[in-house]
Amino acid sequence: MPQSSQAATASPAELEGVLERVKSARQAIVQELRKVIVGQDGPIDQVLVTMFAGGHCMIQGPPGTAKTLLATCIARVMDLTFKRIQFTPDLMPSDISGTEILEEDQTSGHRVLKFAKGPVFSNIVMADEINRTPPKTQAALLEVMQERQVTLGGRTYPLPEPFYVLATQISLEQEGTYPLPEAQQDRFMLTISMDYLPEKSEVQVVRHSTGAETVALQKVIGGDDLLTFTGAVRQVALPPVLSRYVVDLVASSRPTVEGCPDFVKEYVAWGAGLRASQNIALAAKSAAAQDGRATVEAQDIRKAILPVMRHRIGLSFRAEVDRVSVEDIVRRLVEACPEPKSN
Amino acid sequence: MATETTAAPMQVELLAKLCQGRERILREVRKIIIGQDQIVNDVVTSFFAGGHCLITGVPGLAKTLLISSLGRAMDLTFRRVQFTPDLMPADITGTEVLEEDRATGSRKLVFRPGPIFTNILLADEINRTPPKTQAALLEAMQEHQVTVSGTTYALKEPFFVLATQNPIEQEGTYPLPEIQQDRFMFSLLIDYLPKEQEIEVIDATTSMAGAQPEVCMNGDELIEYQGLVRRIPVAEPVISYAVSLAARSRPTEAGAPDFIKDYVSWGASIRASHYLVLGAKARAALAGRPHVSVQDVQSVAYPVLRHRIITNFRAESEGISSEEIIKRLLDAVKPPRSGL
Repeated sequence: MPQSSQAATASPAELEGVLERVKSARQAIVQELRKVIVGQDGPIDQVLVTMFAGGHCMIQGPPGTAKTLLATCIARVMDLTFKRIQFTPDLMPSDISGTEILEEDQTSGHRVLKFAKGPVFSNIVMADEINRTPPKTQAALLEVMQERQVTLGGRTYPLPEPFYVLATQISLEQEGTYPLPEAQQDRFMLTISMDYLPEKSEVQVVRHSTGAETVALQKVIGGDDLLTFTGAVRQVALPPVLSRYVVDLVASSRPTVEGCPDFVKEYVAWGAGLRASQNIALAAKSAAAQDGRATVEAQDIRKAILPVMRHRIGLSFRAEVDRVSVEDIVRRLVEACPEPKSN
Repeated sequence: MATETTAAPMQVELLAKLCQGRERILREVRKIIIGQDQIVNDVVTSFFAGGHCLITGVPGLAKTLLISSLGRAMDLTFRRVQFTPDLMPADITGTEVLEEDRATGSRKLVFRPGPIFTNILLADEINRTPPKTQAALLEAMQEHQVTVSGTTYALKEPFFVLATQNPIEQEGTYPLPEIQQDRFMFSLLIDYLPKEQEIEVIDATTSMAGAQPEVCMNGDELIEYQGLVRRIPVAEPVISYAVSLAARSRPTEAGAPDFIKDYVSWGASIRASHYLVLGAKARAALAGRPHVSVQDVQSVAYPVLRHRIITNFRAESEGISSEEIIKRLLDAVKPPRSGL
């Protein structure tokens, strides 16, 4: 569940003011990021949707597609602390959350246990290649993601606010991976897909990255602004026709539910759960807020569907044989479930 | 009814309080959880009977939220452990660490309690962990204590384990053996919400941060009520009915119906009769009734028998589930005539 901001409910006029700030902050952030990141407007947009909604995201894509660069630049522009953890087969839970170490007291000479905070104590944690680490360590990260605190030796240490995890996965076909169980993938709000650039943009990147000039990124907002923004996002209204549409669409991906389309029965082993509906709604609200609107429109939902559903549908063996991808399934679901007409 | 005379006035008062307490708990939980009435009811029943639950259902149905909200309403501590293939027994029970005594400077082993030292333990996806770790949990469940290097530590009271199993993704899982499943009082199924309620949920959860349940009871009171539940009298014919339900489910039993002989490989154990009666007592007490009826037994028949009736290959090939067997069993076993 994405973090819930404790901000008090704002009046409609106040909300409008905050939404204006959200909109202009977003524009300024995108402008800054474009100085460094070329041709990845889609992913930038989706990362901002996740962060303004207070969620965590998974980034997938081949190596060298600026995944880490995107995360570090965002941290700089939003003035957040940033840590990157390379997940390896021998990483232990304490390497993430922290550990108790024996320390000698200078004055008395006695040794006492002291908690040394792990890299998870940061605003943005980039969990690189999360599926290269064994399950217990994966579970440790997902637990702190959920609870936003570390409990060790009977004491609880809260994480800094805001707190975001951006995780990357290497493709599952590679040797020595521990696939993230579906229940744990469900905890990420969006999966963002980053791909190779078109040749033209690649030329631009190479010219840029081999050149002499370095770009200094400006700080646009701070962590407190983000917390205010996540509070405002939750106050964006979702019209009942649209919430029904979201639930209809998500429910139609479940092969056990009566009335689901035939291709779902054939190709889907398990469909998207309740968290999919929740996160589509929340992502749509975030997108609306970034456009300065206090009400969700159908276009906001449309944009959220694929990144939210992508990691929440399990394909059957038959789908693998017929080379049907999750993207195909989602596309057909959207076709099969008519969008409500806006008036 | 003869049984009513044995209920002392004190108990009647306590029963009324229990009944109100239950109402308040349910009201608090309703603030947080939309739908899932059956599960909430069954979990509350198991709490007052002092039993553990096995919950089967896909992820993302707010199991954690449901159980932690119940815990908060009853002022119980709550811990969740994600079970993984590399989880070790010590990750659950706790370990010993070397610590220095400040006063004397000598070093000694100090026990660091694991997450099992809590009132409610949510063992998430228990079938992902290998048998040795499962066994460590199940042992603690039974004995309410753990033993680490020769020293025995008592767990907190009350102590409940709610273990979940994910029905999909069977690859790389370690299904709980029948004998281990038998230690759970109830086996509950949790399913997707009806669409109308799913809409309600997304409206509620994507808006402002919601309410917190208020504390309506504490652990000591709960323990007292558990004692009360056990003191509820049960008439002889009702006990016989519960026993016959369990006994008739065993294919080796002489009087077993034909469908049991055809479809069941293992019937319900004696723990089934025990939990049928205990569950029925809890149902009666929670409804404020000082006597147990046949309906009370019937209403806990599914959660008690579901994981204790193991169907055979023939049943599987004909698509007959243990749910179906329980349904037929309830039809086949005649309740006592006295109208209890």
